[in-house]
Amino acid sequence: MNQRTVVAVCGKGGVGKTTVAALLARLLREDGRRRVLVVDADPAVGLGMALRIFPPRTVNDVRKEIISTVREHAADQVDLAASVDYKMMEILEEEGNLAFLSVGRPEEEGCYCQLNMLLREAIEFLSSHFDLTLIDAEAGVEQVNRRVMRSVSHLLLVSDVTAKGIKVAESIREVAEEAVDYRKLGLIVNRVRDPEEARAVCESTVLPLLGFLPEDETVREFDAGAENFLEIPSSPALEAARECLLASGFLSS
Amino acid sequence: MGLFEEPLKDIRRYLEEKRSLGKAREFSYTPVLPRASSPQVILSEDTGLELGSPGTSSRSLLLWDDSGAVADGRITLVGPDFPEIGGGRAPLAQVVMVGGRFSDEYDCYRDLRDATYNLGLLGFMTRVLPGRQSVWCRISREAMARGFNAQVLGSALIQAVKSLDFVDAAEVLLVTSSPEDIEELSGAADLVQEIVEALIKMYEEMNFDCDTCEYVEVCDSVVELRRIRERLQAERGGGEVDPG
Repeated sequence: MNQRTVVAVCGKGGVGKTTVAALLARLLREDGRRRVLVVDADPAVGLGMALRIFPPRTVNDVRKEIISTVREHAADQVDLAASVDYKMMEILEEEGNLAFLSVGRPEEEGCYCQLNMLLREAIEFLSSHFDLTLIDAEAGVEQVNRRVMRSVSHLLLVSDVTAKGIKVAESIREVAEEAVDYRKLGLIVNRVRDPEEARAVCESTVLPLLGFLPEDETVREFDAGAENFLEIPSSPALEAARECLLASGFLSS
Repeated sequence: MGLFEEPLKDIRRYLEEKRSLGKAREFSYTPVLPRASSPQVILSEDTGLELGSPGTSSRSLLLWDDSGAVADGRITLVGPDFPEIGGGRAPLAQVVMVGGRFSDEYDCYRDLRDATYNLGLLGFMTRVLPGRQSVWCRISREAMARGFNAQVLGSALIQAVKSLDFVDAAEVLLVTSSPEDIEELSGAADLVQEIVEALIKMYEEMNFDCDTCEYVEVCDSVVELRRIRERLQAERGGGEVDPG
């Protein structure tokens, strides 16, 4: 790919952003034609739970290890960068064509600006070797913009049908206009019960719509039972997510 | 006297022993055309062979010699060649010995290290952990099918370091046989690590206070490090030269 494709799934907390990211990961796993880096950038580590991928170490652990190494040994910037590169590769959990990276819990107190820059660049370096990077972001774009990914190319805004969810999605777009050099942005509306709800959302927002995901009993069961979304069978929400991927151009039919 | 004289002696002894036991075989350098522009990521499902991966034994050493003792173009393999391993995983030690003129030791070390980090071989992923002297390689199924072997890796390493203008000769030792065979290199490896760390500290921190430096014993035992320290002190207008 000539242009890096970094997809950040953003939205208000509780709208099903992680579920949408998990469904997209499931579809990209099934598609199998491209190598996908999946980044769980939410400190709640929900995406790892949804995909049943539990990396023993996270980016934050690597950060701490590097700090410790620097304190114990002499190392120059090149050695440091090589170490970060090695450790980032080491913490990737692989599932076929998917490689999974967990950013981990929030950082501790203290200033490690140089190191954070190294880590951010290491993630960017990794993403450049994948056809697509899918990030399940923390609510808002702050994390995607500053701490995890500098350049998100595609913003997938997720909302439920509530006015509050839509409003937050619109706010994220406003912030992104200034802060993220994205190429494409679209809204996915989750847990839609009927055409009336969909119509009401259409009338309430100017955000470009990628699609609607219906309320889905299979998704509810997988969520409730903490089952592996990579194995979720065909269901209305999954097929609607597939349509969204097709609409956004990430998946060809 | 060279910076890596002692560990090089250890490696020469190791090589002689393996040869005498019939455990070493040699290949000669053949030019390799790098075809990848940057380090690659090879996922497990595309991997034909994994060498020195986390959890297996791994060592990566880089040493130089200015006495003309490096056998230019020689690649020595202790253990099975890559196609003979038959997929899966194997331990790996990678020792690159370089002959040439090393007027600025730190710059030379950095240039050599950069050259070996970035081989640019298509279907070959390498990751290094300098502080632990670890090298982790994945060779893609496609590259294995194309005949990627120890001679290709050894040749790529030789080619990479010989692209530097201060390098006259390069020799590579690869060990794939067992963690025990790799462990036999640990004495040399530890010494190389200490020397390199002392060198980095000397140049980057410009620290010449031997009373507080944790590498003082290394400097005391490696004549070349003392010489470098004295030269840097003189160049930078440091205090009294410690006669060592």
